[in-house]
Amino acid sequence: MSADYAHLCSSILEQCFGQVVQAVADCLFSATTRTLSQIVSTTQLARKEVALALAVLIKFRLVRFEPSKSNQFLPEYSLKREDVICLLRYSRYIHLVQTKYGNVGASIAEELLNSGSETATSCLLKCLSDGDNKAESAETYRTTFIQMIADHYIIKTPELVTGDEQDDCVPKFLSNECDFFVPPNIDLQLLAQIRKGDATIASATDGGIVWSLNFDRFHQEFRDDIMKLAIERKLGETAAECFSFILSLIYKTTDPWQRKASNHITFVEIKQAIERKSNNLDLMKYLDQYISLITDDSLGFLRRVGDMGGGQYVIDMEHAFESLAFACVESVITERFGSKATRIFRVIRFKKYIEQEDLQKEAMIPAKEAKSLAYNLFQEQFIHVKVIKKPGGGGSGPAKAFYLFQIKEKDTVRMLLDNCYKSLYNTIRRSNFEKNEHKGLIEKSQRLDSIVETMKERGDSDDYIAEIVETFTPPECEILNKVKNRIRTLSKAELTLDDTIFLLQMYQHHCTTLPTGIKKFK
Amino acid sequence: MAAAEIAELLLAVIQGVPGGATNDDLTKALSDVPAASRVEGLNVLLKQGGIEVLKKGEKLIYRAKDPQKKSALPKDADNEEKIVYSIVEEGGNKGIWIRDIRIKSNLNMTQLNKILKNLETKKLIKAVKSVNASKKKVYMLYNMEADRSVTGGAWYQDQDFEVEFVDVLNQQCLRFLQMKREGAEKKRDGPLAFKQMSCCTVKEVHKFISDLGISKVNLDEDDLETILKTVVYDGNAERILQSDGTYVYRAVNLPLPAPGLVQMPCGICPVIKNCSNCGDVTAINCQYMNDWLD
Repeated sequence: MSADYAHLCSSILEQCFGQVVQAVADCLFSATTRTLSQIVSTTQLARKEVALALAVLIKFRLVRFEPSKSNQFLPEYSLKREDVICLLRYSRYIHLVQTKYGNVGASIAEELLNSGSETATSCLLKCLSDGDNKAESAETYRTTFIQMIADHYIIKTPELVTGDEQDDCVPKFLSNECDFFVPPNIDLQLLAQIRKGDATIASATDGGIVWSLNFDRFHQEFRDDIMKLAIERKLGETAAECFSFILSLIYKTTDPWQRKASNHITFVEIKQAIERKSNNLDLMKYLDQYISLITDDSLGFLRRVGDMGGGQYVIDMEHAFESLAFACVESVITERFGSKATRIFRVIRFKKYIEQEDLQKEAMIPAKEAKSLAYNLFQEQFIHVKVIKKPGGGGSGPAKAFYLFQIKEKDTVRMLLDNCYKSLYNTIRRSNFEKNEHKGLIEKSQRLDSIVETMKERGDSDDYIAEIVETFTPPECEILNKVKNRIRTLSKAELTLDDTIFLLQMYQHHCTTLPTGIKKFK
Repeated sequence: MAAAEIAELLLAVIQGVPGGATNDDLTKALSDVPAASRVEGLNVLLKQGGIEVLKKGEKLIYRAKDPQKKSALPKDADNEEKIVYSIVEEGGNKGIWIRDIRIKSNLNMTQLNKILKNLETKKLIKAVKSVNASKKKVYMLYNMEADRSVTGGAWYQDQDFEVEFVDVLNQQCLRFLQMKREGAEKKRDGPLAFKQMSCCTVKEVHKFISDLGISKVNLDEDDLETILKTVVYDGNAERILQSDGTYVYRAVNLPLPAPGLVQMPCGICPVIKNCSNCGDVTAINCQYMNDWLD
């Protein structure tokens, strides 16, 4: 966790929940755990405010709490730092659900995201009362909801343990892996009654069971998309289709977040699955060739490990994300230092260790240019230098030393990831600044819009409306458009930046042993 | 017997022993010649340059010199010149540095300079500038083709690396690989056949480049292999090992589209390290960002 990430989290939380929550989260970010009174004294906020902020964060599953080791009755809070950035991905989550389950699914997901976590009944109630999808019946909502649970997009949050000394103890949760995805019993009749006002939500039987979106499942989908896209770009559509079949087969036996490589899969299994589900004749005809194509490719997505069942394969996540993350690093270098620098970077990566002189020969770049590029890369921490000192020298003259260029892959990726965090923070900061700078103007236009709206509803004459609209002068209009454009560009950049961040995070998950935000059934 | 006759006899004996004759060989073969006149005869041979003396362990070995090599040096050359010449000759096509000649020959600097200049004007040796260190001159025999490590091979004109030439070749090689790939795409014989057809050997590329006639210098296949490697290092091609130990090359696409980071100024910002909430570089007053947003 870097300072850049701390800034980013802080500004994300401010954007989503306001300044009180931001202050509380900042305080939690800098410590492993804190108690309520510690937070109060650090933030100088009222105890009530802090408690409310914590409640919000807990509802959004950004804070966890545990009883203190020394005092059973004192809860200690800690921030789930890695999850904060997920707040920025909400639009992507909704978009994914939209493509998979249509508008009904999207409104369920939106509801769950807006509230953090919710019971099934109240979620469906809110969706139904929402204006957009009146046409859909409660039945469709229920089926979609249950289908999303079955597909692991919605997960049950741990249930509260009800014990005898509930009043004093820190609440405990019972998390049972087996019933994360057990579908709830949603009473449609009761739902109808509540909507008519004949019953209250308190009478629903599922009051204790709270659901929320399972971000890991979404991330799994995003990750698979990255891999499929890479194969499609390199080896064509049919190969990508083949790979997506392999992926779906793999998930039957493998935890999707297994770090290094998946479990085994045999050729026969792949063939059977494809014969059953695919209509791509080309794929069926040349299946063995496509598989060997993916296996032999330098991306290294698939690895052959044995001959059982016509050939045993594993998906090599470690190799795959190393290739992809470095493809990303390389394009960053190309954009920043030029294609010659990328060549130097690749030479070093390929040779592992290389001296300056050999570097320029291998890369076929004149000595001076090669030197300057390599030193620039070194200065920006894309490459590193290993010094090997020859022992001795005996005090007469400097000891002989060799300076070898190398790439510490994890450090490079980490550096780039921090850069991404910083850039993302910059976009948020800049767009806040733009909004503040032209606050008066934006508010004015909003006011005007609502006035015009009401006037139209009232049926006032068009001339009168036009007169009102004209109070917004053309120069003002121009500035407003400019600001709106700026904000639009910035928010688009936020989304594309997150793609890079996600890819590099996947590298960290699959290629290192660092703790990452992803845990099975978190 | 006169010294010249003894010398001739000695030469015959020495030429008879392929690896060079030791003193024992000579005593055995010419047992009737006294040691003193044998030494005299050897001296005559050494003076003429017919033989050379080598040291093997503790023993001295006399070896006959190739008469053709000797002929390059004119008869009137003096001893110092001969020695310097032979040292330069030993240097082969890699050349030898003047400092090393001085140490080996034990001559002083002024004398050595004079001799070297002398030999150069007679076109017996030449000075070649090394590409690795522009101020370092190395000497080698006049008719010797300088080694690649000295001249830098085809990529150097005098001491300058020809960037444009390399770039043009790089582009042409890539174009060839891509043409090959496009050609293979048109035929629909399954993915593996496609892959094999898009692969090129160095030989094919060599032929293509020679036919293009863009190079004034003669390029051999090794030269093109280094160029092809740069195409691989640019990420535009792949190098695939064949079962017979040779490599083939094929054009490939990058697996990822341009990452989001470089689509905004922060990704390519040269001062991102200094960027923070305070100070001169901030997101609010950033010129790069202003340019991008407007």
